[in-house]
Amino acid sequence: MLLRPDAGDFRLILLYTSRVVYGVGLAMLVPAVLALVADETDDLWSFVLGGSLAILLGRIGELTLQTRRTLNTSHALAAVAASWLTAPLFAAFPLVLSGHYVSYLDAYFEAMSGFATIGLTLVNDLDHLSRSVNFWRHFMQFIGGQGIVVIVLTAFSSGAARLGTLYTGEGREDVILPNIVRTARFIWRVALVYGVIGTSLLWAALLAAGTGVAEGLYHAVNLFMAAFDTGGFSTQSSSVAFYRSQVVESVLLVIMTAGAFSFALHYQLWQGRRRELLRNTETQVVAISTLTVLAVIALGLARTETFTEFASLYRHSLFQAVSAHTTTGLATIPGRLFVTDWGVLAPAAVVAAMGIGGMAGSTAGGIKAIRVGIILKGLKGDVRRVLLPENAVVAESYHAGLRKVVSGPQVRDAALILLLWLLLYLVGALVGLFYGYPLELSMFESTAAASSAGLSVGLVRPDLETPLKVVYIAQMVIGRLEFISIFALVGYAVSVVRGKV
Amino acid sequence: MSSPDPDTRRRRNEHLPTRRRVVLAWTLAGLIAVTGLVALAEALRLDHPPAGPQTPEVADELDPLRDDVVCDLAVPREGEDREVAAAEPELPSEVTSNQLYDCPGTWDGRRVRYTGEAVGALLERRDRVWMQLNDDAYAAGVGPLPTHRDFRGGNAGIGVHAPPDLAAAVEVVGGPVTRGDLVEVVGVFRRVDPVTNEVAVLEVQELQVVRAGGPLEIPSHPARAWVALAAAALAAVAVVEERRRRTR
Repeated sequence: MLLRPDAGDFRLILLYTSRVVYGVGLAMLVPAVLALVADETDDLWSFVLGGSLAILLGRIGELTLQTRRTLNTSHALAAVAASWLTAPLFAAFPLVLSGHYVSYLDAYFEAMSGFATIGLTLVNDLDHLSRSVNFWRHFMQFIGGQGIVVIVLTAFSSGAARLGTLYTGEGREDVILPNIVRTARFIWRVALVYGVIGTSLLWAALLAAGTGVAEGLYHAVNLFMAAFDTGGFSTQSSSVAFYRSQVVESVLLVIMTAGAFSFALHYQLWQGRRRELLRNTETQVVAISTLTVLAVIALGLARTETFTEFASLYRHSLFQAVSAHTTTGLATIPGRLFVTDWGVLAPAAVVAAMGIGGMAGSTAGGIKAIRVGIILKGLKGDVRRVLLPENAVVAESYHAGLRKVVSGPQVRDAALILLLWLLLYLVGALVGLFYGYPLELSMFESTAAASSAGLSVGLVRPDLETPLKVVYIAQMVIGRLEFISIFALVGYAVSVVRGKV
Repeated sequence: MSSPDPDTRRRRNEHLPTRRRVVLAWTLAGLIAVTGLVALAEALRLDHPPAGPQTPEVADELDPLRDDVVCDLAVPREGEDREVAAAEPELPSEVTSNQLYDCPGTWDGRRVRYTGEAVGALLERRDRVWMQLNDDAYAAGVGPLPTHRDFRGGNAGIGVHAPPDLAAAVEVVGGPVTRGDLVEVVGVFRRVDPVTNEVAVLEVQELQVVRAGGPLEIPSHPARAWVALAAAALAAVAVVEERRRRTR
């Protein structure tokens, strides 16, 4: 029986949401400092104002929404969804005040794209955007990639044992360490260590590419956040192609790959268990899938004679394949060329790579390699059952830290999620078709939005039809949270209307 | 026996379903708050006329996303032989970056004339200098944002490389506070540059600055600082009050 929620349920959901809003408000003080240093006075006030409004609302929530009700699974899931819908509302405030966005909806789209690490953008004239606002775009990807809700709540909430559901509600899989606070701290540690190393390497590569010292550092910091959190925003409109440097691209390839590794795998590696890298089923699936995609892209480009030299074929195929597979969205070629110079097979392989995505429990989006692996193992088991004698016991296993047996329900769950993902990709594509865009473009952009890949053929632009913007926003948040949290929030809305007293 | 009154049930932490009217009222309050946020942002946008100097779009312009762009040489498909551009004309054609991206095969290896604003940075290498030249409306037309409200979409441009002696003429590159030099170049378009392996670039042979860049006059909104300070003061009060209650 569907019960109508009571005031305590709403108070609890809004309390956690207000804490996330408070955290986003505090985060806005970081670009405010940059605005102060860069002498961007109007943007400084935009960040102070946006941050203050978020902090004010967050603290009012803390003062007025306290309840004795304890957090259960449905509260946690609904709170995650509500937080993800509310946080971009405040994050969009300094964006719209920057004077580079047509409307608040566009700025909201940008903020959602940032937090959900998508990389699609509606900014006008990016190449003249102020440094602090441009940094904020990238910083949102960093916060969102690490897990906005978990990070904020582990910093500002007590009762960490009950926060595990928030963690999974945000599209993560296993809790790596015994409690969520230690897991969140580990995630931050990984990000900061990679941040220091990755930014330093990028800085050196950018200096070699010809940027100035301060300019290079600014680009390096932003590029790192875009690559490690598989976000895909860039400081320049021409993305990575701006730097014209194979060294920069090589460093980014490593950072993107590291970002698409699950934090559980990072943990194993940090524990010195390097063999896990080879034994992990998800790593194997990603490796095989990336090589397959790379081969198909190269084959397609060879068939269209887009590249006649191996060096250029290898360089651009590899970067686009890894960028798509890790759902980052950085590019070394203008997006329009996917349509006018890459034929059909290679872009189709890029779409497939975006659709599959990276590893579960990483900053990457998409269906996730572990689900593909489990479904393939289940399929293999079924085939073996048909071929072997009837009384033979067939058990398939996979490796994720430990060797685990693939169970029927696991295969069913993975297949169900796979189906939901395909539906999500399809819905966006259908709406694109409705507005008269060709199938290839609609499918490409829809998959890029839902899987958080963010590569674009140019369909997402400021004068995109408003309903399509809304659809893409919905795809971004549903894809980032992997359905269940949004379902929980919708469930609350339905139970208000139809629930029994 | 009658059930306890709502206050008693609330004190006992029992399930007390919310009335739909209450949920509706709070939903409306939330929507009003969002509207207020949007209205505040609109009120504090940079001090331009709301409509701005809107330049009308060309009505019959081809939409390359929906319409087939007809190129002199067909866009390649898998298994088809790629056609090679005919001998280049003596006078370089004036092109835009969109034309080059729409028909890269057609323009491959041809001398073209291209004008755009230098943006980002000049990336100096041993034998060449890379620069990004944007030919969008912000470059030569309405000027960079946020000096106006004439939104003309994302940037469009192309990467070019020039010998250092030619590139030395470019002094100002566009960025957050500057409008870059408007540069006219004549060069060969390379769909794939065999030397650098870069895609869709211009190999510059001639270069001249047709309009010098300079600092942007970025407008400001006088009320923004005061509203921000007021909001910051309120936020500080809320933070202090919450902390006081928590420690009490």
